[in-house]
This record gives sequence, C-alpha cells and structure tokens, in this order.
Amino acid sequence: MINNLNILLPEIFLSISIFITLMAGVFIKKSFNIIFNLTIIILIITFVVIFNTDNSVEKIFSNSFIKDPFSNFFKLLILVSSLFVLNSSKVFIINNKLDKFEYPIIILISILGMFFMLSSNDLILFYLGLELQSLALYILASIDRDNLRSTESGIKYFVLSALSSGLLLYGCSLLYGFAGSTNFEVIENQLTKENTGAIFAMVFILVGLAFKISAVPFHMWTPDVYEGSPTPITSFFAVVPKVAGFAVLIRFMLNPFSNVLLEWQSIIIFISIASMILGAVAAISQKNIKRLLAYSSIGHIGYALAGIATGDLSGYKSAIVYITIYVVMNIGAFSCLYFMKKDGSYKESISDLSGISYKHPLLSASFLIILFSLAGIPPLGGFFAKFYVFSSVIENEMYTLAIIGLLTTVISAFYYLKIIKTIYFEEKKLSFDKTKDLRVSGTIFISCVFIISFFLYPAFLNDVVNSIFIN
Amino acid sequence: MLAHSIFFYFFSVIAIFSSLMVITSRSTVNSVFFLILDFISVGCLFIMVGAEFLGMIILIVYVGAVAVLFLFVVMMLNVAEQKQSWFIGRQTSHIPSGLIVSILILLELLVVVGGWKYKDNLMSSSTLSLSNIPNTHQLGLVMYTEHILYFQLAGMILLLSMIGAILLTFRQRTGVKKQSYIKQISREPSSAVEIKEVEFNKGVKIDE
Repeated sequence: MINNLNILLPEIFLSISIFITLMAGVFIKKSFNIIFNLTIIILIITFVVIFNTDNSVEKIFSNSFIKDPFSNFFKLLILVSSLFVLNSSKVFIINNKLDKFEYPIIILISILGMFFMLSSNDLILFYLGLELQSLALYILASIDRDNLRSTESGIKYFVLSALSSGLLLYGCSLLYGFAGSTNFEVIENQLTKENTGAIFAMVFILVGLAFKISAVPFHMWTPDVYEGSPTPITSFFAVVPKVAGFAVLIRFMLNPFSNVLLEWQSIIIFISIASMILGAVAAISQKNIKRLLAYSSIGHIGYALAGIATGDLSGYKSAIVYITIYVVMNIGAFSCLYFMKKDGSYKESISDLSGISYKHPLLSASFLIILFSLAGIPPLGGFFAKFYVFSSVIENEMYTLAIIGLLTTVISAFYYLKIIKTIYFEEKKLSFDKTKDLRVSGTIFISCVFIISFFLYPAFLNDVVNSIFIN
Repeated sequence: MLAHSIFFYFFSVIAIFSSLMVITSRSTVNSVFFLILDFISVGCLFIMVGAEFLGMIILIVYVGAVAVLFLFVVMMLNVAEQKQSWFIGRQTSHIPSGLIVSILILLELLVVVGGWKYKDNLMSSSTLSLSNIPNTHQLGLVMYTEHILYFQLAGMILLLSMIGAILLTFRQRTGVKKQSYIKQISREPSSAVEIKEVEFNKGVKIDE
C-alpha cells in the first residue's frame, strides 16, 4: 500500500504544499507576493513530478484512482495553462486591490480537485473532485466581494452549478443502482443497450458535464459569469475547468459508457450543433469583449464536441488537439485584455479598441493574430484545430454535422473580423496607458508564437496526443 | 412484518405529504417546518432499512443544523408571504410551464422504475446486509481503510469551504482597541503616571 503511494505523488505534493502555503499566508504579514511566487514554484515542481512519471497504467485505492498517460497529459495541460493564467494576472490583481493571499491558494485547490477528477476511475472520486473544483470556482468568481457584478456572478454560478451538480449526483445514484457498483470498469461491463435506466442516468451525468464545459443548452451562466468576474478569474474559467471537464467527458466515453455509445452520440451531436450555432449567432451583437469571448468559447466547445461526437478514437484525438490549441489561443486573448487600461481602470468594451493600431501596434498585432486564429483562418493554429476535427467528422460520414460546423465557422468569422476592423480601420478614440508588464507580454508572445509557428510542424501535437492512447 | 409495513407506509405518506407542502405552502416559515418533518420521516425510513447511522446523521445534521439554520435565515430575512400560489389565489405563468416539465420527468422516471422493477437479476434487499455487524461498525471498518482517499478529499472540501467563507466575509476592522495583556502587565508606574505642574487658568492637555 505504502509502496503504491508514489502513484499519488503529484496529488500528495499539491495537498501538502496547499497546507504549507496556507499557514505561511496566515502567519506572514503582507504575504501576497511570497505566496504568489511560491504557488508558481509549486506549479512548476508539480509539472516536473508528473512529467517524470512513466507511462504505465496503475490503479490504487480499490481501483478508484487511475494513473495513465491520458490523465497525465491533461494534468500537464492544466498545470501549464494555469501557470500562464496565474502568472499574467499579477499586475491586474494588485491594481484592483484583490491581492489576498488566498487567491493563488484557491487556484491550487481547484487544480487539486481537477487532478482527482481526471484520475477518477470511480463515481464517488469523480464527484468529490468535481465538487472540490467547482467550490473553488464559486469563491473565485465572487472574490471581488465589494463589486456588485462580481458577487452577482458568484451567486449565479453557485446556484446554477449546484443545480447541475444535483442532476449529476442523481445520475450517479441511478447508475449505481443499475450497475451495482460505482467503479467505472464494473459499470462498463454491466451497461447494455437494454438497460433503459442506465441510459437515463447517463443523460443526467451528461447534463452535469455539459454545464461544466458550458455547452448549449446549459450555457446560460457563461456570459454573465465571464463578464462579472475579474478578468484573471474569467481567463481561468475559460481555460482550465473546461480542459478538465472535457477530459472527463472523454474518459466517460472511453470507459464506462463505451457500450452505449449510440445513445450517447445522438445527445452529443445535438449539444455540439446547438453550441456551434449559438456561439456564432449570439456573439454578433455583443458590446463587451469578455461577453464576446464567452460566446466564442461556447462555440469552440461546440467544435471540440463535434470531434467527440464521432465516437471513435481519431475523433477523440482531434478533439484533444482542438482543446489544446483553444487553451493557447484563449490565454493569449485574455492576456491582451490586461493592456486595455485607461487612467488606471481596465476597459472591457469593444468600442474602446477603436483605432488603437496607431498608438499600440504590438497589441493590435497580437489581437490580429489571436482573433484570426480563433476564427480559424489558415495558416494559424486555430485553422489546424478545426481542420483535424472536421476531417475526422467527414471520415465518419457525419456530413450534416460537418456542414453546420463549417457554416457557423463562417458566421463566427464575422464578429472576429469586426473587432479587427474596429482596431485597424476606425477612428482613434482613446489611447491606453503605457504599461510595461513582462509577465503579460511574455504570455501573449508565447501564445502568438505557438499559433503562428504551429503550421511548421503540426505533427508534434498529434504525436503527443497519439502517445496518450497507446493502450 | 405487518407492523413493519404499517410503519413504512406511515412514514412514507408523511414524507410525501410534507415534501408536497414544502413547495406549495404560502408561508416560507411553514415550508421550512415541513422540510424538517420531511427530514425526520426520511430519517426514520433509513433507520427501518437498517441504515441506522445514516438515519441518525440525517436527524443530527439536517434536522439539527441545516433546517434550523434555514429557519433562522428565513425568519431574519424579511420574506413577504408569497402572493402566487399553486391552488388558491393568483396563479402565475411559470407554474404551468414548470408543471409540464416536471410531469414529463415524472413519466420518464416511471419508465425507469418500471424497467428496474422487472429486471430479472434484481437484488433483494435482504442481501444488502451481508453480515451481523451493525451498520455503523461496517462504515467504521471501511472509512479509514478502503475509502481513506474519499474521506481525505471530503476533508479538503470542508477546508476549502472554510477558507472561502472567511475570504468572502471577513473584514479587517480599523480603529479597534485591542487588549494586550503583555503590555498591560509590563507597565511600570514610571511610564504610566506623569506628574505635571498645573498652571493657573491653563490646565493640562490629557491624552496627547
């Protein structure tokens, strides 16, 4: 038992460092800086620990916890993305007087929850991880407690998410009743197409997961929460929990629900089409850039779900590639928002961007690259993401899905291009403060370089994704 | 056996009736009282199945803490009596639409329960309790061995909720005079008392 504990090493390390940083934060005065830097070091060490684990599949705690290349890949992705999100947020957090030492610690706890969620091979562990993760997110959403919109978004997210958790738990209990076990492998063996009750349970679980990745029709919270929360929290919301939710969705399809794929597939196809259409249409009339990015992220989840809807391995792989590139693009997009500062206050309206290309050529260029990539214009990274997904959709002869996907891509290109038009071809209205922030500009730079140079060697990401599905 | 089923139906009817009253009664305070009644009868049902630990936990945690907390919150908030009602008084538009959805879900559930009832390999409830060890003892056997990971993770969730509650509500008040024992004890007469010559018609300034 003790020998096997090294399977849990990253999680144990993370938990112990959470306790240590918490204690340090309480007893050291003015500890935000120390805790913040400590958190970044912890994230890097955890990355190294996971990176150095071997690719074997191991299970402990009566098969409830699984360590495999699949979970390791997503854990690394979560660590890297939260490292960038956290690192670029520092100046914003201090400027808005949100510099409480709990902020990085709560992000760490949320990451711990995601780790358990990703490694779960059991419904109870899955649910506990999910709750740990989302409880941290409720707190983060309302962290700016004197701001009415932030608290509103926190309450909204809490109420709706609690409802969806209730549905998910109901599904889990039904599944336990019908399969006789909470373990994924037992469930997989017990589930058959004739088992109506289990399919009923599956729908409830899917509702809970679709809420977490904000897929239509469970997206209602997304624009309000994205707009209301402080920008660093929004960028964390848009990136990290989505990766985790998405990975768990794939895990559910690979493992417990692989026998009832057909029933599951039709729901995913519906959710995917609805998200793509809503993401494309509803974003057109948005004035606030955070709301626009919220709708755009709903649309992107729709495209990634199209890859999952194919129900075969190549589709899952394309979806994983998609979500990875989505993460890079969104980190870049949200980091650009940190530069929209005028007289010390951060601007969020799209009209504020009007004509900034004269004064801020670099910022406009990064907006240009990231928005083009989000729209899926070749040869940027976003194009390849969509290309892989749709080629695997067409391989599986799901032409309706592919056609709707391509049409919505064109529609969504409209609002991305509209922002670019505002930046480059409209009258100059205001110029932002000159800010030097190496953390943010470094993040934007890395994101842009990744997007631009992706076409040089696109097989790199494919090889990595292929290697996580060896068995 | 007859007494068992009489008790079972007694508690079930109370549970269903009170849960209906929770959502239909017009006064929120009444709703909370019915909620407590609901919890109690469900707890009794649990005890009847042999899950006495769960039943007691429901009594202690839900009835003793959660529902009473609800009651306090409802009494402290100035909640006006609900104008809308299910049966009497003005009826609002969201009730019929909600009713349709809930009836649909109820029908689907009936299908599920039907499928479950006629499943051939249905586990009978007698096989549930495998040994003579009481329920609480059984829980104790696995809580810290097989399920230690869940237990620790639940502890993590509680820790997080504590951090969150403090973070979102705690405000450092300024200008509060705090008592410091060490300062009080280590005061010397020489530093505490000062003798001043009071000049005529001028007085002394105290607490400079």
